[in-house]
Amino acid sequence: MKAKFTKCTSFLVALLVTSGLIWGCSSGLDSANVSPGSQTGVGGSMARFAITGNTLYIATKQSLEVYDITQPDQPVRTTRRDLGVGIETIFPYKNNLFIGSNNGMYIFDNSDPKAPRQLSFYSHIQSCDPVVVQGNYAYVTLRNGSTCRQQFNTLSSLDVVDISNLSNPRLMTSINMESPYGLGVDGNRLFVGEGSRGLKLFDISDPLKPVLKEFRSDIPTYDVIPYRSTLIITGEKGIFQYRYDDRDQFDLLSKILVE
Amino acid sequence: MKKSISILSLLLVFGLISCDPAVDRTVGGPEFEGTGYRAVYATAEEIAKIETQAPRPLRQPGKIYVQGNYLFVNEQGEGVHVIDNTDPAKPLKISFLKIPGNNDIAAKGQYLYADNARDLVVINIADPTSVKLVKRIENAIPSQDYPSLQQVYFECPDSKKGVIIAWEKVSMASPPACFR
Repeated sequence: MKAKFTKCTSFLVALLVTSGLIWGCSSGLDSANVSPGSQTGVGGSMARFAITGNTLYIATKQSLEVYDITQPDQPVRTTRRDLGVGIETIFPYKNNLFIGSNNGMYIFDNSDPKAPRQLSFYSHIQSCDPVVVQGNYAYVTLRNGSTCRQQFNTLSSLDVVDISNLSNPRLMTSINMESPYGLGVDGNRLFVGEGSRGLKLFDISDPLKPVLKEFRSDIPTYDVIPYRSTLIITGEKGIFQYRYDDRDQFDLLSKILVE
Repeated sequence: MKKSISILSLLLVFGLISCDPAVDRTVGGPEFEGTGYRAVYATAEEIAKIETQAPRPLRQPGKIYVQGNYLFVNEQGEGVHVIDNTDPAKPLKISFLKIPGNNDIAAKGQYLYADNARDLVVINIADPTSVKLVKRIENAIPSQDYPSLQQVYFECPDSKKGVIIAWEKVSMASPPACFR
């Protein structure tokens, strides 16, 4: 057992060193593209449901299901794309869908929302969590697979991926994390949930060099939604809301505690 | 060099299989910390019962969704807390939508789309204190027979007991056979 892990460790380390192929996967809705007053809402990065225009996307554990909701109370399924196993999240951004699975990220072109077309699949070794996208960059959290956890715990990371060329995403920066879950981006603020370990706030004025501004171990964070300068946080202790700005403001507005 | 690359490739395949299973039932799971997830089963009749209830305390908050002044908070496997979030400093719980087996939500206009165990349901939420089921699409979503969190232990599913609608975190003396 130990030998197996050691081999696995050396290999992963070798791979990490020799290649930039470890992508994250996945998604939610673009937290930076919220248009207040729009009819459609916005979800967190862990979402499996997403609506853009008249289309409802559902990432099931094994497929992408596409429903036309032009008539909102009569969804009509237009497409199903089988995607193997371990699908976790969906993130629509502009004309693309980013679908996260346990071993990679699917990128679909959804210019024709009723018939998304797969552009590429990027595989990676580690288990992963959502990605959020802003401009030319995707922010991805990677959490190591359970089998390797004890050995690879330090390899959980926040990765910054250049997606200016969707057919050739490039890993630019990787920052060690503890046990990252959902995340959200708005302007120069990046919020990353560390599960029961807390919440991290980064300044991404330079997207390639996220600077950790604050680590709040008192706010267990499963997922976040930045919305109208309010960060909505869900986690095992309850719902927390903080007011933030593009500088250092981060003030508690309210909390609804688990009882 | 070539040889080492092919060994690496072999290890790559090996690594993919052994290091990153969606659900692994062999040895080598996460550290066991005395807790695991127990499946909550329900019958088809119980699952189909969607109704508006009085606001209730949060227990296991899951995913969140914002639409205008509303904040929807999933109660894992049980339904949705509807919250008036007009003033984020004073969020007000309006109602609880009982949707057995619910984990995901999205909304457009006055309609909420939700998973109701294996079904996709459309709920008219124009009046969140009295919502109406307007559409049910049966078996739209393959059942997810594992908890949504990763790196956790859980009791292996038993389809004879019904459909799983939720996972409860409970104390366990020893780790169950399933984990992810």
